[in-house]
Amino acid sequence: MTTDADRPAATRAPADEGARLGFRLTLPAQVLVLFISAFPLLMQLYISLTDWSPLTGSPWPRAWEYWNGFANYLDLVSDGRLWRSIWRTLLVVAVAVPIEFLLGLGLAMLFVDDFPGKRVAYSILIAPMMVVPAVAGYMFFMLFQSGGPVNGLLSLFTAEPVALAWLSNPSTALVAVIVADIWQWTPLMFLILLAGLVGVPQDQLRAAALLGASPAQRLVTIVIPRMKTIMLIALALRVIECIKIFDTLFIMTGGGPGDATQTLSVYIYDITTQDLIWGYVAAIALAILVVLSAGAVWAMRRMAR
Amino acid sequence: MSAIRLENLVKRFGSFTALKPTNLAIGDGEFMALLGPSGCGKSTTMNMIAGMEEPSEGRILFGERDMAGVPMGRRGVGFVFQNYAIFTHMSVRRNLDYGLRMSGRPAAEVRRRTEAMADLLGLGDLLDRPTAGLSVNILQRIAIGRSAIMEPAIFLLDEPLSNVDAAFRAVMRTELKSLQRQFRQTMVYVTHDQLEAMTMADRIAVMDHGVLQQVGTPLEVYNAPANTFVARFIGSPGMNLCAGRLAQTDRGLAVDLGALGLTPPLPPALAAAARNGRSEVIYGFRPEAVHPDPAGLRLPLIVAERIGARTILHLGRGGDTVRAVFQGNPDLPADEIALAPDPAAVRLFDAATGAAIAEA
Amino acid sequence: MAEIALRSVSKRFGDTVAVDMADFTVADNEFFCLFGPPLSGKTTILRLILGLEQPDAGEIRIDGHVANGVSPAGRNIAMVFQNLALFPHMTAEQNIRFPLAERREPEAAIRARVADAAAKLHIGHILHKHPAQLSGGERQRVAIARALVRDPAAYLMDDPISALDARLREEARVELKRMQRDAGRTLIYVTHDQEEAMSVADRMAILDRGRIVQIGTPTELYDRPASPYVARLLGSPAMNLVPPGALPGTPANGAQVGIRPEDLRVSPGQGATVTGVEPLGGYTVLTIAAGALTLRAMLRGQPAFSPGEAVAVSADPARVHVFGPGGERLAG
Repeated sequence: MTTDADRPAATRAPADEGARLGFRLTLPAQVLVLFISAFPLLMQLYISLTDWSPLTGSPWPRAWEYWNGFANYLDLVSDGRLWRSIWRTLLVVAVAVPIEFLLGLGLAMLFVDDFPGKRVAYSILIAPMMVVPAVAGYMFFMLFQSGGPVNGLLSLFTAEPVALAWLSNPSTALVAVIVADIWQWTPLMFLILLAGLVGVPQDQLRAAALLGASPAQRLVTIVIPRMKTIMLIALALRVIECIKIFDTLFIMTGGGPGDATQTLSVYIYDITTQDLIWGYVAAIALAILVVLSAGAVWAMRRMAR
Repeated sequence: MSAIRLENLVKRFGSFTALKPTNLAIGDGEFMALLGPSGCGKSTTMNMIAGMEEPSEGRILFGERDMAGVPMGRRGVGFVFQNYAIFTHMSVRRNLDYGLRMSGRPAAEVRRRTEAMADLLGLGDLLDRPTAGLSVNILQRIAIGRSAIMEPAIFLLDEPLSNVDAAFRAVMRTELKSLQRQFRQTMVYVTHDQLEAMTMADRIAVMDHGVLQQVGTPLEVYNAPANTFVARFIGSPGMNLCAGRLAQTDRGLAVDLGALGLTPPLPPALAAAARNGRSEVIYGFRPEAVHPDPAGLRLPLIVAERIGARTILHLGRGGDTVRAVFQGNPDLPADEIALAPDPAAVRLFDAATGAAIAEA
Repeated sequence: MAEIALRSVSKRFGDTVAVDMADFTVADNEFFCLFGPPLSGKTTILRLILGLEQPDAGEIRIDGHVANGVSPAGRNIAMVFQNLALFPHMTAEQNIRFPLAERREPEAAIRARVADAAAKLHIGHILHKHPAQLSGGERQRVAIARALVRDPAAYLMDDPISALDARLREEARVELKRMQRDAGRTLIYVTHDQEEAMSVADRMAILDRGRIVQIGTPTELYDRPASPYVARLLGSPAMNLVPPGALPGTPANGAQVGIRPEDLRVSPGQGATVTGVEPLGGYTVLTIAAGALTLRAMLRGQPAFSPGEAVAVSADPARVHVFGPGGERLAG
């Protein structure tokens, strides 16, 4: 039986030739990507199965000397600090992301049609996303000081001046961190959802209006159903990123007061730099990677439908 | 009351005037075609009737009611878009019953009316199928049904058959016409295809560059075009229009068409009206209104289109082309054809304005 | 010897048979039309000739050689796309010389070929302009010149004028006919508009769901359709199909009798009723109810018939078409 490879080159169908050439041309890029993504992953996997730490003095390829199998993974299951940090992270995500989503959607709906000053408003709205996260952290650090502008603003509405110590009070510190996240990332939701809104065909909206649908009915029956995919993408993107929340938060609170705002990333940072138990850290990182990947795959399957 | 009246209607987009002051009256239950080439203002006019655009000046009245400020959802018009604007994320049924559901009709009534409309349009089997992937012909039927089910008094269609294949167009024309007869709606139909307008309309409004050229029944615009634009646009092919000079011959006033030759003498009534201080006219005759005549115009044959029931001849010399249409598939001499226009069918137009010269 | 031939070519996509045993030969310099309703296989055949698809069975011969397996670049066929695909940043001349410049032909040869193509298509005076400065017809000529400059065995067009306004289409098809004659090259043309096909084609092939059902000149296909399918496809309004003997003038044999609307004789009388009148100016289409039959008649000029009027309808016996039970044409 003659296969494709047996037939002389001139008679191979054009489509095959294109694919082969493409493969050969992208080989260098493929090797690079492999090196950048696969290698660190394998290295992490290797270290996570050991008890290695830089304090031991040996270089990491010799980590096998400290082999301890799945001990790290078992440890993390019973690590109270880890689970508390996960809980705090999920709390932040559960509050921040929906607010970002709804605010972003509301703003996007305002921006579908033209209005005077739209360009200026647009630039102002996008600005928070452009701010370096560390700078944003410092900015909110100053805003939330007990003698700072936030309290000053609130004092306008209350009888007695408000002097909350936002960042030194365990309950309010998380609130401040959430506010900072919302400020920084609502613009992203706004952008993505605006793109989705603009993609809703004008003619269909007009047809719906001509058939007697009110703006609210058009929103529910036409706009939102057509935006399902985009909304899912926006939410998935933001949830995954928010779980990794670090920069702004760390500058604002350092994880404190105490461990009141010690989210997952902060916890990993702490044990990496302070306790230096890198084997354990690798295990945590991989475990999270697996969980988030599973979540992403699930989300993508739903989107494809 | 579903008569429509446009009074001094104007539409401008920035510095561009899409519709110059226009007056048009469409009768209750009339099928009116807005006919013209791309960019003539027909779609703009229709969008204003529907409420999708606001007039720059003038008014639109439905019956006696001024529609200024009435939003498009409240005008009670049905609208079929050129690209159907089907709700592609919904099933056929949900498209058809959309309007009824939005207005809160009881579920049983919605079901009954949806199924009746689906049967009428041959969509019964497809009701619960998703609309994605259905053929263009079916999508168009759904678009029509979706509007028709609301039983609007006024039905607006914006070139609904331009994306549909040629064979299906003929079928849909008949269906649309019978739909209109059945529901007694006022129908306004935008098209660039004069055959479509002639086939379906009670009256045709011919437009060009934002100006209404003529309004009349199909036969009126065919037999008595108001100007050269209408004369050329109506008919397939359109009227032959040849520039010429009036020339007195011993058999009467004729027109010298330069390279194309000398026409037969003009009928007396037309000759009398033509003279009126003119020396140049535009001589018009329809391709179907010619007969072989050795003493008439002798013209070389450029191309012959044999399209079955008719043969269209393209004749001419020196860049001027004239068309003639004969029935069936006659044998033709290879080089020159001698023919003359039927005297009763000759039309004259003013060389400067293009307006028709009426018989004295 | 620039002949294109398909021998028993078949192509399927998954379960669907797109082309079924297509067999035809296109002669040198011929304007050959592939005609049929949407999804009948016309575009697939074009793609097979071009080399964008490979046949599952059968042979495609171009210029006497078997072209199966040869990539599109290797075949000597040029394609003119519906949107013409002219490079907007190049002048007409640069567009036309592009295929030759790509192949690094000698400059003298390029100039000669470009001049030749431009002369044939009467575009010498606009070679220096950019596509945006040209009219639609001029652009089409430039696109064809670009296709011709490679000296192809044939050039192909897929429904190039369907996007134009009706009036422009009527003019464009005459233009295309003249262009093809001027160019002196085989043109294989796909369309679903029957009037357009009959107007432009020297010969045409009628397709029905992937099968070629009849090939011939437009006149042959119109006057002697091989089946009711072909008969109803050509001509508008479509041919009336009635039971044998149902109308005066129709023979009593066969399974179906076809009479074209222009071959029906209608006069005031008895036996049928006019139900619709379409005044088209040069001719009038009447819809007539004769018993259980609905007929359409096409009469010259503007005869005075009105809906509801009683008429007598008969067929011209010399112009009827008789079809047998299997849909085949019977003598007569």
